[in-house]
Parts: sequence; C-alpha cells; structure tokens
Amino acid sequence: MANKRILSILTLLVILLLVAACAGLQSNFVPPASHPSEADMGMSTKVCTDCHDARGEFLVYERYVHTADYGMNHRAQAYQGEAICAMCHQTSFCNDCHATRVELKPSIRNPEKTYRSMQHRGDYLSRHRIDGRLDPTSCIRCHGNPKSAESCVRCHG
Amino acid sequence: MRTGIRYRELLLALILLLAGLPALSFGAEIRFQSNTLFRLFERDTVKEANSSILPGYEYLQIDAGELDDYGISFHAYGWGRLDFTDNDYFDDRTAGELLYGYLEYRRQENRCSFRLGRQYVFEGVANEAIDGLRVSGDLGEHFSLSLYGGQPVGLDSEDGRSGDSIYGGRLAHRLGANYEVGVSYKTIENDDVTAEELLGIDLGLFLPANLSLSGYSTYNTESEGWAEHSYELRIPAGSFVFKPFYHQFTYEDYFDTGANAVNPFRALAQFDEELTAYGLDANWRYDDNWTFGGKLKLHDYDQREEAQTYSITFDWQGEEMTQYGGELGRTVTDSAGANEYTLVRLYGYCEAMAESFGIDFVSSDLVLAFYDDEIYGEDSSLFVSLTGGKRFLDDALAVKISGDYSQDPYFEDDLRGMLIVSYNFAH
Repeated sequence: MANKRILSILTLLVILLLVAACAGLQSNFVPPASHPSEADMGMSTKVCTDCHDARGEFLVYERYVHTADYGMNHRAQAYQGEAICAMCHQTSFCNDCHATRVELKPSIRNPEKTYRSMQHRGDYLSRHRIDGRLDPTSCIRCHGNPKSAESCVRCHG
Repeated sequence: MRTGIRYRELLLALILLLAGLPALSFGAEIRFQSNTLFRLFERDTVKEANSSILPGYEYLQIDAGELDDYGISFHAYGWGRLDFTDNDYFDDRTAGELLYGYLEYRRQENRCSFRLGRQYVFEGVANEAIDGLRVSGDLGEHFSLSLYGGQPVGLDSEDGRSGDSIYGGRLAHRLGANYEVGVSYKTIENDDVTAEELLGIDLGLFLPANLSLSGYSTYNTESEGWAEHSYELRIPAGSFVFKPFYHQFTYEDYFDTGANAVNPFRALAQFDEELTAYGLDANWRYDDNWTFGGKLKLHDYDQREEAQTYSITFDWQGEEMTQYGGELGRTVTDSAGANEYTLVRLYGYCEAMAESFGIDFVSSDLVLAFYDDEIYGEDSSLFVSLTGGKRFLDDALAVKISGDYSQDPYFEDDLRGMLIVSYNFAH
C-alpha cells in the first residue's frame, strides 16, 4: 500500500513537472479574468447572446445562456468551462446549492431569492420519499459521502 | 454556547490568510461578505415538547488580492452556529465548517491556475471538496490539463484522516468552437483502502445550425462497469430552445463506491437495477419579459414499472430585478404502492411595490403538493414564505425579515421566523 502511495506521489510530481514545462505554451483564447457586472452594464448578463454571437471563434456563447432550466441543468458547462463560470460567479455562489455541509438548505439561507432555482423548496421531507425512489442518482451527487450524508443518516441510519 | 469550527480548520484558514497577506501589500483589493442569521422556531426535543429553538448563524466570505484580474488572490468561505437556547436539538450536528479557504495564482498567458488549500473541484468525474493542491492550464492551443491531489474533506469523519487521499485530473482537447472532449480520472482512498475510482469521458460537440451535443460517461474501475451515460442535444429554433436528453445509470456501478458508500445509497448497489431516463426540456423566450418552460422526463427501469415527471413553468421579469413566476408539475408511476404527487409553486420578488411599504424589496413563495396516497394521514403540504428587506449604507448593508408557515405530513402549523443582516465590504 505504501509503495502504491509513493508511486502515486511520484506520478503526480512527474505530471506537475510536465505542466511546468508546458507552461510556456500559449493559449489561443484567454478570456478576461472577470465579466463586467450587471450593475456596471445596466442590463442582465444572463443571456450571453444579447451581446455576443451564438458562436465565437473560440467559445460557444450560446451554451452559457441562462435559460429557465439553467439552474437545474448546467453540469456539462461547469465541468468543461469552469473558468467561464468563474468570470461571473465565485465558488460561494455555487455553494448556495452545492454545499451540503451548511446545515440550512439553500432556500432558507436565501429566502428573498425566490426567483433562483433552488432544490428542496417547501416540504421536501415528504416529496423526497417519492423523488428518491424515482431517481436516487440525483441524491447521491450531493449527499454521496459520509460528511455530506449527515442529514440523510439521521433518519436512514 | 458552542462553536463547531475546529482548531485544525481555523489553523488552516489562518495559514492561508497569512499566505495571502503579500497579495494585499501592493494595493490589491479586499472584500468580505457577512450574512448573520437568527432563526426562531419550535421543535420537540428529547427533554421537552414544543421547545423553542433559537440558533444564530454566521456565513462569512473573504476574498483578497487580484480579484478582477489575473494574479494572486485568497478566498475563504465558512459558517458557524451558536445555539442561544439550552436544549439538545443541535447535539448531534456539526456546528460550523470551513467550506473553502485557498490561495490562488492565475497566470494569463496560458490560463494557468494554482490553488492551494481547501477547495472544490468540479471537473470531469470530480465533484469533491479537497484539502490540497490543484493545478490547471492550457497546453498550447488545443489541449488543457488539470491535476489535483490531497485529502478528501468528505471522509474526515471516517476514522480520522490518516490514510485518506484523493487525486485525479482531466486532460481535454478542443478545436475552437467546434468541439471539446475530455478524459478524467479520480481515485479516493479511505484509511488506505480504495473508496472510489472512476474514469470519465466528457464531450461538447458543436454542430452546424447552432446544434450542440454534450454529455459524459463514467466508468467505475472498482466494479468494472459503466456507471453512467448522460447526453443532451441542444436545438435552438428562433426564440425556442429544445433539449432532448438521455441518461442511463447502472445501480451496481453507480452506487458501488466501496468504503465511500453511505446509507441509504449503499444498499442500492445490491439491486440489479438499471435506470434509463429520457425526455425533453423546452424553453420559449417570448420577449424580454416572458419566458416559458416545459419538461417531460420518462423513467424506465429494468426491475420496476415505469415512472414519468411533467412540469411547465412561466416567468415574468420586469425592471429592478422584479420577477414573478410559477410551476405546475406532476409525478406519476406505474409501480403498485408507490406514491404520486402534483406540485404547484408561485413566487415573486418585487422592488417597485415594496417602496409603498417603506422597504426596498419584498418576496414571496407558495409551494403546494398534493399526494395521491396519504403520508402520515395527510394528503397535501402547504408552504408559504414572505420576506421583506431594506438596504442601507449605499446598499452595503441589508436587513431582511422572513417568516415561513407550513402544514404538511411532518409538521402541523409550523411557524418559523428569521432575521438576516448582510454586510458587504470592499476596499
């Protein structure tokens, strides 16, 4: 087991050296570190294509348009374009929904933001008996490790 | 009174804060956001029925350094709770947590990023909080690479952290705005035992006529089987966007995550079940104000009878963040003995109307659920929430008061109140 860990660490170091060696390579597309805020622009920034072409030379802007279901359906964009998300959102924004170690569910922590898609609104204790049976894969994404399952274990053991 | 943020996490935050101080020395920016919440409600405790529960929460976020540009920065976010009553309601619960606290260096030339500390990793097969290092960046015009390693935060309650580790990464190839394909890997060890080992492929394929196909497949190398295939086609047509989707999950491979598995999911790995879910998401942006949506999702199982979910939504957005909307949903199943329900939701957020009450914003939420079979003798749930707030000090300070009422199978006439003080500082 110790040998496996040493091998893993060495592998990681080699790859890090590789990254360092490649650091001189230039990207062909470097987005700005941050996007102008809605307040600065005086308009909503949720519809990227209001200002950008649907397809840029290096970025598909239309992919990031915040349609009504975007709050519940942005996994592919986040996993492939984290840097694009980070231009407008800090990790704490993601944590509004994606942190399960915060005790209060998102809609309680943000009671005035009724316009945001936040999971478990209202009496979800009753509805989770039905939803969880239908598709338990959607539960484990957020409650899948011992720490994030604390709220499940209280009843489910 | 107790505070649950442990010494180790405080020490980690302190070290990272000190590490971030140099970034401040050349006039970089510092921001912090404080949200202080006081809640009041009643619950039955071991010692007393209808006991008053009065917790106070602090959610604090600190960001310092080059925040709007490439460079060095420090980011931390955490929370803690104080219980102002003398009862056992919170006895078995964590009373605080450092959610993240990391030092970051971002280099513009090749979008290189180094993050050290507690952080979230969302990429490929990773959806984890880690204490460790993440390095990412572009390798030339067409490749990007990210690597991470450290200890998984989610396992720190399982026999301590000795022998716990997590590492992985993602290598991606892209061709302008034509496609991006990534290969990712993650392994987690708990007390020197492999808890989870996953391989993943993610795809973004951007076709003519603005069509795009995106999705991911995940392979569980421990159980040696495909855990998930999830793909979605995006079809824009004028003011409409249609998104047919397809998901396939094999329970044995999806839930069999070794020592990492927890109840109630551990048992699901034993079922020889496969879920195939497919359907359609549709959005219609009628004009700058009105948006309509619809979703149809069909669940097809190997072992059980089929189930379906349907929903339609509408949303009206006006000036100054004013927004009203609603949702009507229905969940049905062909399985004998399984419950079904109808969901109705109406919500609103308004700034213009709030002025007549001497406040800056008001919001409301109504959620109704009707169950086909009774749950604990009740066949419906009602949830109502009303929040109002006022801003001060050029909007840096906001005070909000919120009240909730619910009547449902678990709580009868449950009334809860909350006071929130939010303060944003930037320098």
